[in-house]
Amino acid sequence: MKRYDVIVIGGGHNGLVCAAYLARAGKRVLVLERRERVGGAAVSEEVFPGFRFSVFSYVVSLLRPEIIRELDLPRHGLHILPLESTLTPLPNGDYLAQWNDHDRNRRELARHSLRDAEAYDEFGLLLHQMARVIQPILRMAPPDPASLRPRELLELVRLGRYFEHIGEKRFNALWKLLTMSSADYLDEWFETEALKATKAASGIIGTLLGPRSPGTAYVLLHHYMGELDGVFRAWGFAKGGNGSVSAAIAAAATSFGAEIRASCPVMNVVVQDGKARGVVLEGGEEISANGVVSGADPRRTFLGLVGEKHLPEAFVQSIRRFKFRGASAKVNLALGELPNFTCLPGRGAHLRGAVSVSPSVAYLERAYDEGKYGEFSRRPYMDIVIPSMLDPAMAPPGKHVMSIFVQYAPYQQRGGWTDERREALGDAVVDALSEYAPNLKSAILHRQVITPADIERVVGLSEGNIFQGELSLQQMFFLRPAPAWARYRTPIEGLWQCGAGTHPGGGVMGASGRNAAFELLRERR
Amino acid sequence: MSDRAIVIGAGVDALVAAHLLKRAGRDVIFIEEKNTEDDGGWVPPQIARELGLELHIKTHDPWAVVPLPQGGTLELWHDMGRTVEALRRLSPRDAASWPQFCARTAAIARLFEQLYGAAPVNPLNVQLAFRVRRLGRQAMEDLMRLLPMSVAELLDDWFECDALKGALAAMGIVHLQQGPRSAGTAFRLLHHHVGSPQGVFRPARSNLGAALRARPGIDIRAGAARRIVVRDGRVSGVALASGEELAAPLVVSGTDPRRTLLELVEPGWLEPEFARALGHVRRRGVVARVSFKVAPCARVVIAPSLDYLERAYDASKYGRVSVEPYIEVISRENAVEAHFQYAPYRRADGAWDSDRRSELGELTRRLLSPHVGGIADARVDVQTPPDLELAAGWPEGQAYHAELALDQALWMRPLPELASYRTPIEGLWLCGPGTHPGGGVAGASGRNCAREILRSPARRAG
Repeated sequence: MKRYDVIVIGGGHNGLVCAAYLARAGKRVLVLERRERVGGAAVSEEVFPGFRFSVFSYVVSLLRPEIIRELDLPRHGLHILPLESTLTPLPNGDYLAQWNDHDRNRRELARHSLRDAEAYDEFGLLLHQMARVIQPILRMAPPDPASLRPRELLELVRLGRYFEHIGEKRFNALWKLLTMSSADYLDEWFETEALKATKAASGIIGTLLGPRSPGTAYVLLHHYMGELDGVFRAWGFAKGGNGSVSAAIAAAATSFGAEIRASCPVMNVVVQDGKARGVVLEGGEEISANGVVSGADPRRTFLGLVGEKHLPEAFVQSIRRFKFRGASAKVNLALGELPNFTCLPGRGAHLRGAVSVSPSVAYLERAYDEGKYGEFSRRPYMDIVIPSMLDPAMAPPGKHVMSIFVQYAPYQQRGGWTDERREALGDAVVDALSEYAPNLKSAILHRQVITPADIERVVGLSEGNIFQGELSLQQMFFLRPAPAWARYRTPIEGLWQCGAGTHPGGGVMGASGRNAAFELLRERR
Repeated sequence: MSDRAIVIGAGVDALVAAHLLKRAGRDVIFIEEKNTEDDGGWVPPQIARELGLELHIKTHDPWAVVPLPQGGTLELWHDMGRTVEALRRLSPRDAASWPQFCARTAAIARLFEQLYGAAPVNPLNVQLAFRVRRLGRQAMEDLMRLLPMSVAELLDDWFECDALKGALAAMGIVHLQQGPRSAGTAFRLLHHHVGSPQGVFRPARSNLGAALRARPGIDIRAGAARRIVVRDGRVSGVALASGEELAAPLVVSGTDPRRTLLELVEPGWLEPEFARALGHVRRRGVVARVSFKVAPCARVVIAPSLDYLERAYDASKYGRVSVEPYIEVISRENAVEAHFQYAPYRRADGAWDSDRRSELGELTRRLLSPHVGGIADARVDVQTPPDLELAAGWPEGQAYHAELALDQALWMRPLPELASYRTPIEGLWLCGPGTHPGGGVAGASGRNCAREILRSPARRAG
């Protein structure tokens, strides 16, 4: 039987990135994916005949440029088409558009508020600076602040020096971002409601928090870090859908010699004498290896695949209280014709960008109010893209696919998620969007509604949390996923974690997978 | 003259600063803008020691009486065993967790107690890092996890009893326009725990203000400052509303930072960027005070669950008064005072008027009548946030002058540039609750400020 150095559980993008780096370093790597295709939440599927969707995750923005470079992803088929704009339709028939083109954007903002147009550049500059401050931290295995190990102490000192180097002023600015609500933060800068709300919306994505909840300003930055080809704040689609991102990483991994097996659900990790020896598949097959890396989220990894009995009690407790609380749903529509927005009729450039239903901060906050008491929002926040506008191959000629990210649809739904509830959510989404694009209802050929419960069932993300655990301050950096175990290691020797449930987590970023691979390689050298 | 110091403001912090400066040999004039009877909050023991004060500390036992929806009450006591006993009837699990919860929170509160006795230190400070490491792994992990989290999450980790969680969570949101699910509120629970015995989550009250006011040596003048006079970038005195102008090389302000620097100081002395940041200091008042002329009673806390508090908060987000508010009763000598939260300073439906004022009073009466004897036809007096602004000098009705949220706490309070109590104008200092540690801690800001003044090199400060 073939002996592997490392088995990677889960062929999500982080697992694949980790596998690729390990294979590149000469390890014999096997990736085991539960589903029939790799990609995790970054998959493209032909849901309805002729209509291809990025079923779950739908834009690329955070994927680390060093990963694109080092794994040479463009050569393996990654092609990113930039999103040019964000359109926020308003209830009064007007709209706010944000364009990538600086001058055009400024003119549009000035139409709403001269002051905001003035402030916009300065705001962008500050967040750009903040993102630069955060960059090196994303590449770091977080040292344990209570550690006595020399290497970690050294890293702590280095981290302290780094913050000293960035200076008190920028450190304090970062602290504000970490602790403030996006609404309060944006109030300091802007007065146009739609602008504040659309910016604040990026702070609430994926979390069961509202724009007035402290801590959301950081997530705003997290989404500002999108860096495509070195350009900050650029968002884009992968040609062929987000599945092509996974496919490119998988191709890179394979080219380095990694082996990938789909339809291979792992039942448990084999632990003997406190060491990970391999895995057992659901079919009963046992595969042994010197090391195991789990790309599954912390709850599934430790409470599911490993089992409490092999773990220290305090650690189990930490994992138990790690918060997931999925809050987002997805509605995928196959359209016979393009939506016609009342505020900007016709087939304009705005359809090549995102449409954000976030007319005011109060609108988002009300949507959250419903979410926090366990109901889905009747009038949700929606982030909409029409990938077939940029990549016509996604839909039959003349037809289109529309992807609607919806919030809030909490996993913990009063009465649980049922088929009726799912369809009711779909109806609410279509109704709310139809207010801005009245032809939508008649344009719909097919509809797919994905609740957090569906995300959990299909992709395996606990409670459907798209970040493998909330990105709240007490679950970040050296606390992600548990204190003392944020360096991709686990209490079990030879078992590693590489999913978004570790630092820095969240989004199709790949940093967790890359960092984990480097830590593992450093250990085993 | 060159030894003269003028202290402006109201409240115990200004009084403490005035007396400490007096003790150091300054000739102190205290312009008492408001005569507030604010006696809440922990008094750092150093204050009584340094000023030779005999303080009367007033505590309640039980420190909270929480009415239960099924009838009866949950009583929380100073005595750990009694609280455990009371909890056991509602939840044996919570009764078992209580002692450990108290020990863990007390460990962190002790660290804060140390940090509150001096000017704030930036977390980049190496000594602070060592001090935190000395706490040991458990307390350190607790600290890092707790600091940013919501009080609801913290309490859900530990307890299942709604009444207990509500009573504790109330201390996380008191005087804050946030709800128990908002990040940073766990820190506030600890903040208000500082100085209390283990297992007691209500700050004691004292006669600090009265004792200082009765103490001779300071020239106390009732009146209001109209302007802080600045010449060549340094303070030269205070012009009073009465028209009188007092000269002094040292002015210490206990009123809120925004008013001090943006209203009392003539515009133009501050860097625009700094002035802008100062204008963004949040100070939204959310509390009304309702007094009833009845005999003292137990410390009733109406905060039956986390969801109850969260819903009470929801109303305030849209400028509405909570229909089911968080209410806490504090007994005074011949009246019972109710803390009513949330009552926003700015109502969405227009200004506060006498109808709305009495409506709030009657709502309070109705909610309290099952728990407070003789309240049904007692005389009621309501102070809305605008009333409190006028009467107590609380900006926008905010008792802490600057909201105590994580981005406005510790070394960020009220702004990093002002955290050492010093302002950009030489000779002008801040000592009110809007500075570290501020809000709900009595006299610590005043003491820290006076110490910084007296320490400042070559007495350039005055």
